[in-house]
Amino acid sequence: MFAERDIESDEAAQRVAAWIADYAPSHDAPDELLDGDGRPRERWRQFLHSLAALGDAGLEQRFAAAARRIDDMGISYRVHGEAKERSWPLGRLPLLIPEAEWRDIAAGVAQRAELLDQILHDIYGDARLIAEGVLPAAAVAGSQNFIRPMCGVAPPGGRWLRFYAADLGRGPDGNWRVLGDRAQAPSGAGYALENRLVLSRALPSLYRDMNVERLAPFFRDFRASISRVAQRVDPRICLLTPGPWSETYSEQAHLARYLGLALVEGEDLVASDGKLHVRTIAGLKRADVIWRRVDADWCDPLEQNASSRLGVAGMFDAIRKGAVVVANMPGAGVIESRALMSLTPELSQRVLGESLKLSTIETIWCGREKERRQVIDALSEFAVVSAFADRLPGFGERREALGGALTDAERARLIDAMHQRGVDYVAQEPTRLSTTPAWIEGRLSPRPFVLRVFAAATPEGWTVMPGGFCRISNQPGARAVSMDAGAQSSDVWVLSNSPIKWSTLLPSDEDPPIVRALGNLPSRAADNLFWMGRYLERAEATLRVVRTLAARLGQPQHIDPQGRQSIERLARLLIAWGAAPEELADIDPTQIALAATVDADAYGSALSVLRSAKRAASIVRERLSYDVWQLVGRIETRLTRAGAGAITEPETLEIIERSLHTLAALSGLIDENFNRVAGWSFIDLGRRIERAIGTCRFARQFAGDEATVETLDALLDLLDSQITYRSRYIAGAALAPVLDIAMLDPFNPRSVAFQAMRIDEHLAALPSLRHDGVMEPPRRVSVKLRAELESEDARRLDASIILAIEQRLMSLADKIAERYFAHGADGAANSQPSRIA
Amino acid sequence: MIYDIAHRTTYKYDAPVASARCAMRLLPRNDRGQTVLSSKIELSPSAEVISDRIDFHGNRVCEARILEPHTRLRIALAARVAVERMPPPAPALTPAWEIVRNAAYASDSLAASSPAHYIYASRHAPLFDAATDYARESFAPGRPILEGAMELTNRIHADFAYDPDATHIATPIVQVFESRRGVCQDFAHIMIAALRGLGLAASYVSGYLRTYAAPGQARLEGADSTHAWVSVWCGPEFGFFDLDPTNAMAVGNDHIAIAIGRDYADVSPIDGVILGAGNQDLDVSVDVTEAAI
Repeated sequence: MFAERDIESDEAAQRVAAWIADYAPSHDAPDELLDGDGRPRERWRQFLHSLAALGDAGLEQRFAAAARRIDDMGISYRVHGEAKERSWPLGRLPLLIPEAEWRDIAAGVAQRAELLDQILHDIYGDARLIAEGVLPAAAVAGSQNFIRPMCGVAPPGGRWLRFYAADLGRGPDGNWRVLGDRAQAPSGAGYALENRLVLSRALPSLYRDMNVERLAPFFRDFRASISRVAQRVDPRICLLTPGPWSETYSEQAHLARYLGLALVEGEDLVASDGKLHVRTIAGLKRADVIWRRVDADWCDPLEQNASSRLGVAGMFDAIRKGAVVVANMPGAGVIESRALMSLTPELSQRVLGESLKLSTIETIWCGREKERRQVIDALSEFAVVSAFADRLPGFGERREALGGALTDAERARLIDAMHQRGVDYVAQEPTRLSTTPAWIEGRLSPRPFVLRVFAAATPEGWTVMPGGFCRISNQPGARAVSMDAGAQSSDVWVLSNSPIKWSTLLPSDEDPPIVRALGNLPSRAADNLFWMGRYLERAEATLRVVRTLAARLGQPQHIDPQGRQSIERLARLLIAWGAAPEELADIDPTQIALAATVDADAYGSALSVLRSAKRAASIVRERLSYDVWQLVGRIETRLTRAGAGAITEPETLEIIERSLHTLAALSGLIDENFNRVAGWSFIDLGRRIERAIGTCRFARQFAGDEATVETLDALLDLLDSQITYRSRYIAGAALAPVLDIAMLDPFNPRSVAFQAMRIDEHLAALPSLRHDGVMEPPRRVSVKLRAELESEDARRLDASIILAIEQRLMSLADKIAERYFAHGADGAANSQPSRIA
Repeated sequence: MIYDIAHRTTYKYDAPVASARCAMRLLPRNDRGQTVLSSKIELSPSAEVISDRIDFHGNRVCEARILEPHTRLRIALAARVAVERMPPPAPALTPAWEIVRNAAYASDSLAASSPAHYIYASRHAPLFDAATDYARESFAPGRPILEGAMELTNRIHADFAYDPDATHIATPIVQVFESRRGVCQDFAHIMIAALRGLGLAASYVSGYLRTYAAPGQARLEGADSTHAWVSVWCGPEFGFFDLDPTNAMAVGNDHIAIAIGRDYADVSPIDGVILGAGNQDLDVSVDVTEAAI
């Protein structure tokens, strides 16, 4: 046993030695793995040894499991301007930081957060630092994030900054220093959490043995402190997202779920009486705290960018009135500029009376005469970048100009521009980013990185997340990293000297209150769940029609006129639904069946409808389990793939069958796993309404005035009701009995009456806006419809009566939309909320 | 000079609007040589006033909410304003433009009157080389700021054609600059961008210009319109001074200012959000008449 371990250990040591021998960081910048003398640091020796001990196969297995987990959790991001989200590129090695070093980082970041909060108080308050000349007005006014309507406003809860991030890297001397400040709406904390969930499970023993500090307490403290500053006890906290098109939507949805916050978009909110409210199916509910991921300029179209649809009109007014805590306050982003960063060493002395514990990268703002001359005189020693923006003014798409690498003409142009508008430029020392090992194609490779560290304000001061969000560039020698194509991120392990106590979000020191309902469902979520239900049902109905059609095409009665009739009707139905293009009308029904299944250009094809379902689902993704999300994706993939290549008739049939099975599985999953108060009723309402309308249409087509045995038979197929019919009636299909099964039978889960019953039950259980006990408009329709269907006689039904029922179902859908989904500017029919809660 | 102003804005909607919320910057300013004797905004249908405040730039903002369904919204301003502006300083006495620029860079105030707010690109006034080069022709080294600014005002008037059909509210000024056609708003934005390109502080002023009827003809009712011009900072001693590039003139007692900002976006007379679908149609009529007292 021991001998075996030793052999393994020897092999591991050899593997580590080979990795290190192969690892060659540049001498220009410090490296995490190798020290200045080229020797591996102790923490990395230990880590790599444990890693090597897993063996090549073991390693691959772990990393493959990590990749699967990323897909399962749906962690993704979007590269700006791309339609499709990318799977999250998690690097396989963490960044390792020893406790002693971490203590200095944490102290420096906390000090900086406090300093910046006080600077913000001054900028938007008395502006004393400006009057004294420590902070030139032009270094503030040039920022897009200086939000003028916030001047003179007292921030509700007392802080401008509540969630701050610093981007760090090592300087040439090996010391950590600040490369940039993030205060607008720092991203990355949620990805850090996700990285941790994935990597700690992929490498559990390493994670345990190395005493890695936990992240959960930081999030718990942040959540506790933003709820403590709200006006009400037990406040409603919302994470305001720009929506599914945002680059980091996946992270926002994850954070909202992890912290138990309501994920809202601007359309979910409305301002009235100087307060903010969430539009829910139970009326307007007070929003006490907004953790915003929408940039300040887009937050309030009445006071900032008038074209914004991401914010809410009246938010600034509510802030002025102290009615809503916003983290961070709109305008906090002003401290992100390099112009301001260049002044932080002086400001620290003036505001805190102490030097910065973490130095900043040397940065000189050229808005002041003396500094400008100093920079111009030694231009070749600097990198010149924009003082306020991403791109260097006057240099097109370029981010920076390296003084030493400019042509004479460029140099003259830059100097001229700096003389003219020095306020737009800062000069920085042109150092490269320090490097950390990344696992690239089976080898260790030194890659430049930026470490983002997060701090949250608590009543006791700033708390710093022990870990962070690390971005790794794929370009050796890089001087900046953004999460564009090719970059990776990695987990950050702060290594404690002593064993770590276990912790999750569950408060261990106090009993958690029992909660069964997670607040009221926002109207927009209800709307999308409803449509997800409708589209899923519509996709299923389309596939059923195609299946019924395809089955008839393969039979001998194909040729006789009676059989022809139902085939024609089925084909016509598909064309009328937009499932197949009009041009196919007179052509082979086989073509129509195929188009109705996979034609992405036909808006009513099963594939198109399913994509609509997926779109609706994507907007409420945080409410759906991964299984639901995966199944929807699976059917889409199957139909898309089928549409891409030429397929045979039997293959089409098989795809239809399998897709119907997956849809059935999805229904089951939704019924069995979807929390009944979290919006399940709206998915089900959508399904029921769609099914009832669809059944009416089938009945009109196949059991109308010209019905034949053939068409009635097709109807029974469409409704999956052949067995029920045969068990009740010995003779072949007859009109009244078939109509009874399709329309009125309360025991047939596909009949219209059955749907009406369920719809009515759902509506009865939903919250009412009225206190007088009078029924709301949707319920009035459903009660009446249900009663009529229950008491109707099948022998009396004809096409016109069925059409009338169908129209009432459609009007019921409109009434449901009016009552529960209204989310325009001000809350529609019920502009007066029944109760502000 | 005392003026009576009637400024009526009517929105017509194809489909009924359930409710609306709007912020109005319509009430004239009560400073810089202007005294508002009376002013009132009337809305129809009637509205609930949410707030009446002064914004960052010192403009009066009235916010209101209309909660009843409507297909027509009428917003009418009636105001009486006395205008008595100081005559402009002799241009030759104003400081050299480079000195003014450096003073703006070194400003130690964040108040609305600080030039620091007006030296940077803004939403409707991006900085671009062509405009900066255009301005430079009027600003030889050491030239007094107001001399240069007045020359620039005259050049814009001479080089650009007034053509209401050439642009609309969203036409980028880079395009206006190339086509050399536009309206007062475009000329103001171009002059602002040109001055800021040199590092000089310039703000946007919205308001009215009194018009005179052609000889022998009656003044046409509602024929006036809103106007826009530029305010140039001439150093700490002289402060801001207004110039009208559309009419190649210094702003005197024929101009009535409503609001000041970095560009049009800061002074847009009516910003709003409505709950409704369908198209809308906008009609504006303005009358500026000398008050009969």
